Amino acid sequence: MPNKNGSVYGLTILSPIIEDPRATPSHDLQIRDYLAGLSTREDSPFALAPGTHLARLVVMDDVVYVGAPACEEHLKSKYLIFESNCDGDLDTYLSGLAATVPEHLDAIWRHCVGYPGAGNRKAFIDYMKACQLETTFFFAAVNNKTVTETLRALQTQTAVADFIAAHQGVEPAVLQREFIQFAAHLKSQPIPLPGSMGPHRTIETGGRNE
Amino acid sequence: MSNINGKVYAMNAITPMKPWKTWILRAAFFLLDHVKPMQKDLIDLSFIEFARWVVVPRKGLPFLGNGQQEEVLQYDYLLFFSNFNGTWNQYIDAFSAVLAKGLNLVWRWSEKFPGSVPVTLFKEYIARVQFDTDYYYTAYPHATANDVKSAHIVQLSLDSLSAVAGQSTPQQFADAWLTFVLEVQTHLGETGDAPIAG
Repeated sequence: MPNKNGSVYGLTILSPIIEDPRATPSHDLQIRDYLAGLSTREDSPFALAPGTHLARLVVMDDVVYVGAPACEEHLKSKYLIFESNCDGDLDTYLSGLAATVPEHLDAIWRHCVGYPGAGNRKAFIDYMKACQLETTFFFAAVNNKTVTETLRALQTQTAVADFIAAHQGVEPAVLQREFIQFAAHLKSQPIPLPGSMGPHRTIETGGRNE
Repeated sequence: MSNINGKVYAMNAITPMKPWKTWILRAAFFLLDHVKPMQKDLIDLSFIEFARWVVVPRKGLPFLGNGQQEEVLQYDYLLFFSNFNGTWNQYIDAFSAVLAKGLNLVWRWSEKFPGSVPVTLFKEYIARVQFDTDYYYTAYPHATANDVKSAHIVQLSLDSLSAVAGQSTPQQFADAWLTFVLEVQTHLGETGDAPIAG
């Protein structure tokens, strides 16, 4: 199924935005304005709701004219694109969004045609599915791990690097004892919050990247 | 507008295609999906976290009534969404240098596609068909695709070592530790702030 790659789901939704000449500002601009103020860190709606690896929201104003001899044509509606790379099956994911961040969903999608609100769970899921496009080809670099597993692994990676650096040339018995303590401590640590930049490190990472 | 979040760049592109050509493209994607060795270059590039292509038939845009006007289009459209590490220029350069044949196979059916080599015309075309992202979220902005792959290798190795650590003699543990360090030593790269792009 092209929407899935392993256990990761590639969700593509295009919701037509309300065209109302009396609306000031226009509905697409109101969406953009809301999104501009929305956090992308730990308090992002996609961090608060479960299961999103990466997601984007885009107002698509029109199709693109690539020049003659192609024909110039235009859309009659603007569309809100919701592209998400998420865990599990679609119903569970959409239900999680509706249950956790209904106010954000409503604030964004209330500018879209036919949006029923997140409060009516079934209507919300039906609406999202009505706006869904099937992905033709979906690539995922890692396709068998959940968001939680990945955050845990990234935390482990950092901790292991520090542990190895601090235990060069240590006696086997001491190393074994301290490793067992380290592994137990690491396991008991809370999983880092989705959307966070991870632990602050003093390592220099500057430099031009162009 | 925010195409960048931490170490990831969100790219959106849309290109028109004559409807009869989309069936050729669908066949190409079917092959790419089912013949895994064809994805080797895409995997080896290793800076793409997720990417997708969506063929939108000219009558396939969602139509919900409620006052929405039905679209009347001559072209099908190919939507492309990518989540990659690094800058736009690095990405397009690498795509052009490594995946030229694959890119041509995908986009040659789009109107006015100039080919992925030479890269100057390719970049001009991508810039023309690209549109910006309004909101971009990632659960792990401090990590690249390679960081994520490596982190899972470290986690797997750590879990294996943890499983035997309690039952080993100190010397047995020291041997297992050495094996563990050899396994993970190339996967301990630092995560953190993205380099400064400019």
